[in-house]
Amino acid sequence: MSMRSQVYEWDAARETTPQAVAGYLGNRTSIFVGGLGNNITKPAETTATEFVVIEDIAMTPSLGTLSTMPATQTVRGLITAGTTNGILSGVAGPRGYVQVRINTTDYFLDPDNIPNDGIPGAASPYPRSINFQPSFNLYPDVYVLPGQVWDALVTFYCDSFATANFAAGELQCFVKYTLYDGPDALIANKLLEMGISINPGNVDWYKRSLLQAQA
Amino acid sequence: MSMRSQVYEWSNLQANANQLRRTTSDLPVAVVANREYDIFTGGLGNNITKPAETTATQFIVIEDVAASPLLGGAVQIRINTTDYFQNPDVTDMSGIPGLASPYPRGAPSSIDTALATAGAVGDQNILKSFDLYPDVYVLPGQTFQILYSSRDGTAASSTVIVSCFLKYTLYDGPDALIANKLLELGVTINPNNVDWYKRSLIEQQQRSRAVAGGQA
Repeated sequence: MSMRSQVYEWDAARETTPQAVAGYLGNRTSIFVGGLGNNITKPAETTATEFVVIEDIAMTPSLGTLSTMPATQTVRGLITAGTTNGILSGVAGPRGYVQVRINTTDYFLDPDNIPNDGIPGAASPYPRSINFQPSFNLYPDVYVLPGQVWDALVTFYCDSFATANFAAGELQCFVKYTLYDGPDALIANKLLEMGISINPGNVDWYKRSLLQAQA
Repeated sequence: MSMRSQVYEWSNLQANANQLRRTTSDLPVAVVANREYDIFTGGLGNNITKPAETTATQFIVIEDVAASPLLGGAVQIRINTTDYFQNPDVTDMSGIPGLASPYPRGAPSSIDTALATAGAVGDQNILKSFDLYPDVYVLPGQTFQILYSSRDGTAASSTVIVSCFLKYTLYDGPDALIANKLLELGVTINPNNVDWYKRSLIEQQQRSRAVAGGQA
């Protein structure tokens, strides 16, 4: 089990006491240790014998409608904004984005080299449906080298929620990654040095080439 | 991190004119019919601090552009002063229609501005008919613009929200040099081919070391 496909699903409503939406509007929130929704015990990091390859990242989509659209209309399963701060923006869904951070460096930048909010939920929706299909594919993958800390940061700008609190399924994020551990993490490092994409197929190819060289 | 997948999303949502970043107070603003808006520095919606350009050590490969399929929306790519999409008679055009490259994928192509309920949103799911292949290259030192235009424009009273989406890969530092080399060789620039070039350099080094070792 030294190469393992892993997923992490985050839902802002998955906690005992529902929290108010307003305090999180426009702020970056870690899906791992942000204090909102389901969290883990410590920041996501790789040990000296681990290598993580992030292959997909997605979040709740949004859809622009009309400036005159009132609050709490359900459009394609998404609720229109204006329930808590009263701003009727005409956006259905949270108008959310997700950024990947490695140590202190944000992965997604604007063309002026300033970090942006990240991938829009509309471009990489979770869950995918007929109404919301991906425009974005995380390729090349994002590598988290041994000893690095990584995070996925969600930002949303619209209070498109049924009530003033988060409800299940209204703000979600999804991360798909592969964890290489032990000898496979060493091979992953070797492939990185060689300029070869790190994926399970290439790790297996490297192992086979080592065995062939021995034989 | 010298090859990075990047995205930029623009929409006609803003709280103030010439706004740089998104805010929670953003509201839809009117889009004038048949006017080209630079999604980076056009003064409408979310913008960035300066025109999009590559430095001497950067190389950009634009892999996808898309726009809302509403109101006759279209998106054009301009490199320096040259528009990428042209009519067969080499005259200007508005670019890729949002109906051919919709954003978001699965979005409706119609919206009834007279209705102010969920029923206003059309029930179509527009999928893409267009794939930006071959990709568009922005060489080191070039400026590029993504221009959104709407044939119909939006009404001032019941403003429709329109968006535009750009997906590109940024090659920086040594990978930008390799991208230039691949361009010279006539090889398509993508992460796989950049990796292939790196591997071939390493193999070449190993062979020359082996030859030098054999001669000693």
